[in-house]
Amino acid sequence: MTTPLYEVRNVSKHYGSVVALDDVSLSIAPGEVLGLVGDNGAGKSTLVKILSGAHSPTHGQIFLEGEERSWNSPHEALEAGVETLYQDSGLAPHLSVSANVFLGREEYVPGILGKLGFLAQKKMDLDAHANLERVGIAVPQSSRSISQLSGGQRQAVAIGRAVSWASKVIILDEPTNHLGARQAGEVLAIIRRAKAQGLGVIFISHTLPHVLEVTDRIVVLRLGKIVANAPTSEFDAEKLLGTITGLIDSK
Amino acid sequence: MVHNSGDHVNSIKARAKSALGNQQVLLLIVLTVMILGFSLKSPDFFARPVFANILSDWYPLILIAIGETFVIISGGIDLSVGATVGFSGVVSAIAMEHLTTAHYGPDVTLFIGFLVAVGIGLIVGILNTLMITKAGVVPFIATLVTLGAGEGLSVVFTGGAPIGGGPSNAINLSVANIFGLFSRPGLLIILLVIVLGLYLHKARFGRYTFAIGSNPFAARAAGINVNRHLAKVYILSAVLSSFAGYYFYLRLSVGAPTTGNGAELQAIAAVVIGGVALSGGQGNFLGTVLGASIISVVASGLLFINVPANWKQVVVAALIFVAVFLQELRTRVRK
Repeated sequence: MTTPLYEVRNVSKHYGSVVALDDVSLSIAPGEVLGLVGDNGAGKSTLVKILSGAHSPTHGQIFLEGEERSWNSPHEALEAGVETLYQDSGLAPHLSVSANVFLGREEYVPGILGKLGFLAQKKMDLDAHANLERVGIAVPQSSRSISQLSGGQRQAVAIGRAVSWASKVIILDEPTNHLGARQAGEVLAIIRRAKAQGLGVIFISHTLPHVLEVTDRIVVLRLGKIVANAPTSEFDAEKLLGTITGLIDSK
Repeated sequence: MVHNSGDHVNSIKARAKSALGNQQVLLLIVLTVMILGFSLKSPDFFARPVFANILSDWYPLILIAIGETFVIISGGIDLSVGATVGFSGVVSAIAMEHLTTAHYGPDVTLFIGFLVAVGIGLIVGILNTLMITKAGVVPFIATLVTLGAGEGLSVVFTGGAPIGGGPSNAINLSVANIFGLFSRPGLLIILLVIVLGLYLHKARFGRYTFAIGSNPFAARAAGINVNRHLAKVYILSAVLSSFAGYYFYLRLSVGAPTTGNGAELQAIAAVVIGGVALSGGQGNFLGTVLGASIISVVASGLLFINVPANWKQVVVAALIFVAVFLQELRTRVRK
């Protein structure tokens, strides 16, 4: 078996006496789309926080390309190539599209002014446009502020930002929430393109048809434990729902 | 997500709207009309010494208003700027009085006095930062604490009386001897204003300030050290206030405990008139510059047309209302 791209082994997370995650192990290969589903309180968001570096696990190990890692902050995970798109918190609405795409990764004008922190705004405007286009997003003007965009366009920018910066793994937490059918379809297309580029995509969603449509494998969490981990082809809507709710015990 | 012709039309409409509703353009018109009005009513108004005097009111106001601009754009507020002006001026004056009594030269004394003032600014800024980022006190309360402590200590340290007895050449420095319009410290302040304006709109420092005010979660997720940046913003505000405190010393040759009382409200007024949203993430440096200019011009102009000086507050109040009302209108139109 080849080394997985990203892996957690025997991870648990306790909040006081509450066990949010209990001995969870999963891995993702390059170019694989992994669906992560489960009911509210199943431990999805805890797992996302551990994968993205926001929280450390109480027990267990994290491996990136076979190397054991421990993240002290989401920033460390970012730098290592693991990007996360959080639910509803991705963008600064008053800032322009390009300022958002380059937030925390600004480019500077050459020379002494750049050393003083002056930004290469034109270059970032052009590059932001190019980066978003590369992952399949056309935004009218990258100098427009996010607040002038529609909900769908905003989400596209947020995803485009994450996908264009991710070098290894991208974690998308409910990226199709609040989107219309056409816009959700475009988000799924972006995910397929990221997969084609060899990224590992972890797709967390409540919208089961989207999960069934875009993923290669599905992991189902229930009450902090993994209750199913199987190729998507082994699921249909009914079986997936049954596994999530516990009406079908697939183990 | 997709190009379509509707977007193009919308963008043209949006541009037309933003040009019509551009706060800076409106403020520039208001400022020009005010200067014209005062000059027509009283021909003495349009004279170099008058503008030199307006500028000398403007220097300390713009210093604290700029600090306030950064703070408010970051989503906070700094109520302690006025108290810091007074307290840094007083402590600096006490130090300079002692140094002069000990026969130190005036230049050395002025220089050390400056360092003392800035030191006080740093201390206030660090205290605000610690309360806000470490103790989790909201900025309004944290800076209310330093406001009270600063104003109180200024009176305690001086017994309520102005402190003089410093170097005799201090007041020469605040004379408007450049084209009869600018003092030397004044020119330095103008230079500083330009640099800070560029830092707000063209550099990473300003970008992060806007980002944190707009969405602190997004800023944090993007790897920005939010607390460290906020520390810089509050320290900047306090240090600019201490510059203003030292400037008042140069202008008056004394450090008075009441200097700067209420200046925080003037600074906030300048910022709000300038179109900075108190909710953070939004604002324009030029707006603050124009807002502070309007307040300074009104203060002098009313005297020239024989209106009692206290009307200034009423005029400023009306300007604040109009500015906020227009802002509200603009957001409603946009929606």
